[in-house]
Amino acid sequence: MTTKEQWILDMDAGPIFEQIGRNVRMLLARGDLHPGEKLPSARELAGTLSVNPNTIVHAYAELETQEIIEKRRGLGTFVREDAPVETMRKDMLTQIAKTFVNEVRRLGVETDEAMAALKEAWDAG
Amino acid sequence: MLARLEGVTKRYRTTEGVRDLSLEFPAGEIVGVLGLNGSGKSTLLKLVAGLLFPTAGSITVFGAAPRPSRGRTVFLGETDTLWPWMTPRDASRFMEGLYPDFDPIRFNELLDALEVPRRKTKAMSKGERGRLRLAMALARSAKLYLLDEPLAGIDLISREKILMQLVREWHTDETILLSTHEVAEAEGLFERAIYLRDGRLALDARAEDLREQGKSVVQTFKEVLA
Repeated sequence: MTTKEQWILDMDAGPIFEQIGRNVRMLLARGDLHPGEKLPSARELAGTLSVNPNTIVHAYAELETQEIIEKRRGLGTFVREDAPVETMRKDMLTQIAKTFVNEVRRLGVETDEAMAALKEAWDAG
Repeated sequence: MLARLEGVTKRYRTTEGVRDLSLEFPAGEIVGVLGLNGSGKSTLLKLVAGLLFPTAGSITVFGAAPRPSRGRTVFLGETDTLWPWMTPRDASRFMEGLYPDFDPIRFNELLDALEVPRRKTKAMSKGERGRLRLAMALARSAKLYLLDEPLAGIDLISREKILMQLVREWHTDETILLSTHEVAEAEGLFERAIYLRDGRLALDARAEDLREQGKSVVQTFKEVLA
């Protein structure tokens, strides 16, 4: 299951319910959470993160609408077997790439130089 | 509506506690009562608890005056009134004698969850006493909890335990008013934040709405009360 350290919340970065949603998608994209796996109950997660239980309920409702998770009667909340993990992974990569490009552009660096730096960092890491 | 204040002013001999406050508290909210020292947080909570009477304006709690409703309201005050010789077991007997809604079994569970040592309070740290006092308050079953600075002056670990326990214990039909100036740690807990400045209402907002605008409850605290 998930531990407190896996969740990233920033009170200055928008509504918490949205951030919980982003966290779940991130956990799925990284493979720390899998289709079919059970999520902590709203109250459990609220306790872990010291967040109002209603906020978690709100976040889960959104994720349900987005067809990522589902409630199973009497059993709890689960990641859907057909959750689009690959799409989430690609979306996240695109997002990270965009952030990289924006940062690099602000340095006034050209594509070739940026790519070279990326490759160098990649090989070093 | 669990509690309603209309144009409430409380004047002390030389100073004003709160001035012209009109507020409503429906069932099922965790409300942060925020402000600097002397902003009227304690006065507001004590007025709702029926421990103080307004100089002007009116207050209803459960549809009646606050004082007759006292048995249905839990108030956790700022001052530590535990006797030094008291053990958690003594505290339990004391509370049972005072409040019919106090549940000693629940109290014991809370002591375990909050990791309160079973020894005399004089041999406890400030944080341990704070946790004991919270257990005493939460072992009562009420619809309205007024918690005045339960996080003040105690260690970080105790504060975390208290917040976690509040989340676990809260039922969605109960209302908690929690006053604090340690806003950062409690921020996530609040659905609604009430900011008081010099006894007046400076802002009453939904926490998620504030964050939607890119401002945390903490950031708003700095801006509203600066």
